[in-house]
Amino acid sequence: MIDARNFMYMFYGFAAAFVILVVYVVSLALRERKLIHEIDRVRRMVEREK
Amino acid sequence: MSSFLRASYTIAAKDLRSEMRTKEAFNASFAFSLVILVLFSFAFDPSSEELQTISGGLLWMVFSFAGALVLNRSFARELQNDCLDALISSPAPTSAIFFGKTLANFLLLMIVEIAALAVFAVLYDTHFSKQFWPVVLVMLLGTWGMTVIGTMFSALTVNLRMREMMLPTLVYPLLIPALMAAMTLTSDLMSGTPLGGDNMIWLRVLAGFDFIYTVLAVVFIDIVLVG
Amino acid sequence: MTQTRDRILFLLAAVCAVLLTVNFYKIFLILPDEANQGAIYRIVYVHVPSIFTGFTGFFVALAASGAYLATGKLKYDAFAAAVTEVSLAFATIVLATGMIWGRIIWGIWWAWDARLTTMLVCWLIYAGYLMLRRAIDEPTQRAKLSAVVSIFGCVDILIVWKSIEWWRTQHPAPVLSIRDGGGMGPGMEAPIYWNWLAFMCLAAILVMVRTRQEQRSREIDSLRRMAHSY
Repeated sequence: MIDARNFMYMFYGFAAAFVILVVYVVSLALRERKLIHEIDRVRRMVEREK
Repeated sequence: MSSFLRASYTIAAKDLRSEMRTKEAFNASFAFSLVILVLFSFAFDPSSEELQTISGGLLWMVFSFAGALVLNRSFARELQNDCLDALISSPAPTSAIFFGKTLANFLLLMIVEIAALAVFAVLYDTHFSKQFWPVVLVMLLGTWGMTVIGTMFSALTVNLRMREMMLPTLVYPLLIPALMAAMTLTSDLMSGTPLGGDNMIWLRVLAGFDFIYTVLAVVFIDIVLVG
Repeated sequence: MTQTRDRILFLLAAVCAVLLTVNFYKIFLILPDEANQGAIYRIVYVHVPSIFTGFTGFFVALAASGAYLATGKLKYDAFAAAVTEVSLAFATIVLATGMIWGRIIWGIWWAWDARLTTMLVCWLIYAGYLMLRRAIDEPTQRAKLSAVVSIFGCVDILIVWKSIEWWRTQHPAPVLSIRDGGGMGPGMEAPIYWNWLAFMCLAAILVMVRTRQEQRSREIDSLRRMAHSY
């Protein structure tokens, strides 16, 4: 009885940890994409200015 | 060494004098402390047991909010008319500037706190006359810790965009150990337990905190102000 | 250079994946339930390794900040920022898992024990550090000021940790660990350390990615300035 309930919370715990990690990795990936676009844009701008 | 002390004294005197002329920060902090204390006295029954346990927490919360008002202005007031640049390029060492300002803030805060303590004693009907000097000792140590960190971060955030928000955000987490120690000690003293035995740990934590951060601040103030 | 770097990243990812798979298999399928706590104790295999990783992170960030102040090379600053951010993620995991565990075992969401309180203070200081970095645009000033905050913060965390430990040795209170309690059964302790290794590999990957992002972002800023100066 107790065990069943604890199983649920155990999964909540693992899920919480997993979600936090996933959110962070996704935010890193998004930032990476944004940076690559930004670098291309600025490089093109520098070329134009030359 | 003596030139350091003389420079610190000059800066401290200048800050105190300028503050006493306008009394802006002083009035603001004292009024704020008063308001919080009065409001809380409506929420709690003064003679109850639970008041004894939260008295330390309440007092130090009041002190730290009052402190934020004082410390924010500490270096910010030098921004007008390039006073900060003038101070930094003066022959006084930056550590003396920092120490002088810390002293001034400390004295100012102590005055506000003693006044707030008097109000607290009256409103909340506390009996700690036997423990009065230990309470004052805790206030001295705790306020020094608060002032050292607060002045340091006032210098650090002086040129930042969102200064008023960054200062509390950075300072309050750093003050947690000192505030924990001060709150526990004050609560115990207010309920009549003398210093010693169990409490000595917190007193040592406070003293250690003060010492370590005074040294660190004096060492790093140069990097922060001059860059 | 990038090829070696990519190879290292893949190697770390592989090691991490293997360790985690083996460990989770052991944790879920092989180990029995603990006598008092039932199934929930398995959360310790995420909670404790995250604590170790987070704390290692803050020591490393402290060293990196010190290295920046000593040498003035901005790459140390980029590294310090990356490590702090990754450690913040792990600190969040510690707090979340700790709260859930505590809720089940003690019925309360929070307890002022040494580990959780230190992690909370750690979290607040790191979050402040990252907010500070957002508020400063100029790279050298940003590096210097965040290094100072990092040093002050690390000393503070040590003070909090030590003082609560001293206090708790006099006033024993619930401690989120079954190691101190009745001792763990045979074979229960090893997965904690293996998981720690796995988390460290994961942290290393994240830090490497983040450091390069930090350096790229600085490169963008300097390119922009160059463009405007033409």
